[in-house]
Amino acid sequence: MEPLFAGLYALMDPQLLVLLFAATLGGVIIGALPGLNATTGAALLLPFTITMEPIPAIAILTTIYCAATFAGAITAILINTPGTSASATTCLDGYPLAQRGEAGRALGMATVSSTIGGIISVICLMLAAPLLARMAYNFAPPEYFALTVFGISMLATIGDGTPLKNIIAGALGVLLATVGKDLLTTVERFTFGFNELSEGIGFVPVMIGIFGISELLVQAEQLQGERKLIEMKAIKLPSREDYRRVWKTILRSSGIGTFIGILPAEGATVASMIGYNEARRWSKTPEEFGKGAIEGIAGSEAANNAATGGAMVPTLALGIPGSPTAAVILAGLMIHGLQPGPTMFTEQAEFAYAIFWAMLLVNITFIFVGLFGAKIFARVTFVPVQILWPIVFTFSIVGAYALDQSMLDVYIALASGVIGYFMRRFGYSVVPLAIGLILGGMLEKRLGQSLIMLDDQWWLMFARPLSLLFFVLTILALFGPFFWRLFTQRDSINSTGK
Amino acid sequence: MARFAVPCGTIVFCLLAYWLSTQFDRVPPILLRGMQPEDFPQMVLLLIMALSVLVMIFDKPIEHDPMTFNVWTSLGLFVVFALLSQIDLFLGLGVFAGALAYTWGERRLLGIGLVSVLSPTLIFLLFDQVFQIRFPRGLLTNIWYG
Repeated sequence: MEPLFAGLYALMDPQLLVLLFAATLGGVIIGALPGLNATTGAALLLPFTITMEPIPAIAILTTIYCAATFAGAITAILINTPGTSASATTCLDGYPLAQRGEAGRALGMATVSSTIGGIISVICLMLAAPLLARMAYNFAPPEYFALTVFGISMLATIGDGTPLKNIIAGALGVLLATVGKDLLTTVERFTFGFNELSEGIGFVPVMIGIFGISELLVQAEQLQGERKLIEMKAIKLPSREDYRRVWKTILRSSGIGTFIGILPAEGATVASMIGYNEARRWSKTPEEFGKGAIEGIAGSEAANNAATGGAMVPTLALGIPGSPTAAVILAGLMIHGLQPGPTMFTEQAEFAYAIFWAMLLVNITFIFVGLFGAKIFARVTFVPVQILWPIVFTFSIVGAYALDQSMLDVYIALASGVIGYFMRRFGYSVVPLAIGLILGGMLEKRLGQSLIMLDDQWWLMFARPLSLLFFVLTILALFGPFFWRLFTQRDSINSTGK
Repeated sequence: MARFAVPCGTIVFCLLAYWLSTQFDRVPPILLRGMQPEDFPQMVLLLIMALSVLVMIFDKPIEHDPMTFNVWTSLGLFVVFALLSQIDLFLGLGVFAGALAYTWGERRLLGIGLVSVLSPTLIFLLFDQVFQIRFPRGLLTNIWYG
């Protein structure tokens, strides 16, 4: 219990609380701005946290994560443009409700569902992360290696690309992680004579490039879009009748969101889709979905915010990012010299609990920001892209330079942006690349340690029950959807008799 | 065309990287613990090549519009920025931001001034004064650093 209260005490610095409130507002603005989302926002703000102490730095990044995920709903409801992909399903019912003159009710429901979903997931995080960490405390390198392979295999199902392309993108990230000195032999690899590269390619410039600069090029393709703000008189809390209709949906979606978030690499977007679909499936009036069903908003928003807390469970307990934004936060932890994993809950427990409290705090702050500020934040969306993106570019480049004060990082960010744009254009998601880059170093280190431990008899990894379990889960993650499709196809052929 | 061009390009890149990996220094067997430095990158490269072949066979081609003028212009401005940043990072940023805003349709002098002069100056001051970041010397930064 002591670390729990020590974490809370660490947050009770008035200066830090003001900073967290500012980060909440900043996160909401990022979530509402066109093209920016929680991942891009966290990547762009990562350089700002370099000079800070670890607790404020990571608390700010997690606050931005939660706030930007929530803010996507504001623009989804008011202008039919999801601020983040996780709010795409909120558009389906939020915008029709707004068109009927019930924007205030829709936003009120989005705010309340987000808050409840977020709080439930943070409570799960507080309970599950230390337990998971305790389980993982006895992991030896083979188990860690198998776990990291499992984490990477989950990349197959995320992002916009097909599973094959996602794995290629993830493997490219792992390959990038091999640049620099080999940890076990100290031999330099792919450095081309640049001294700056001997420590490896930095996470920050690559992330700024693939999330920020590549988005600039994507925005260049969509300059003609027009947005129209819905008239909104006031935001009101959902009525008692609304609560009666949605409480089960909120609880169900919070559970779904937390669970999806805990799965390595899966994030808020998948959670909101499943949350929305389940809300429709269990609804007494599924025909209303897509036309302004209040349960649709609750299902989507509770799930996507619950996923933020869930995603932090494997990130902090195992060092495997639970979502793309969690990958950026993981990079932030590493930059501050912190090693996420079981030891975090024994050696830096106060730090871990401070993050939990920060997330809880930001979820409560949503109520005020969502109910009183939504009208103002929706207007942020109308900042002209021709003004916004040149400023974002300037921030990106200066941010990429700032970490190591190296011009090489600026060119790496620029090159990553161009590569990221073409990857997206040809159907390769950039998220697996980022996660592969973060996990690549760990993967190689743990494989090397496992081989040393097992006297180069790599097959002995399969004789260890836990590693075997993770390898089986990896195979299921990679081929499960394929076998499931084959199974359901055969089932439908049998039932139709064709 | 892209269905084969991208995986083929990836395979060529991987072959080149594989060849480069064969040039790494090797650890004498008597001192070796675990893997040689090239083993892991080579495994990853082989995996990427194998998956790229599968993409060519199984993946459906993506239909997309040709790249717009704005994208080409923005890419061209990246090159201009990279060249100008050799003279001064903030000169490059100012020119890039102003030119990008103009090519994306901004015609108000105030708007262009905001992105090309005011925002780089404020960002410079923020990082220099608050975060104590030292920027590379150049034509404009020398005015500040003296």
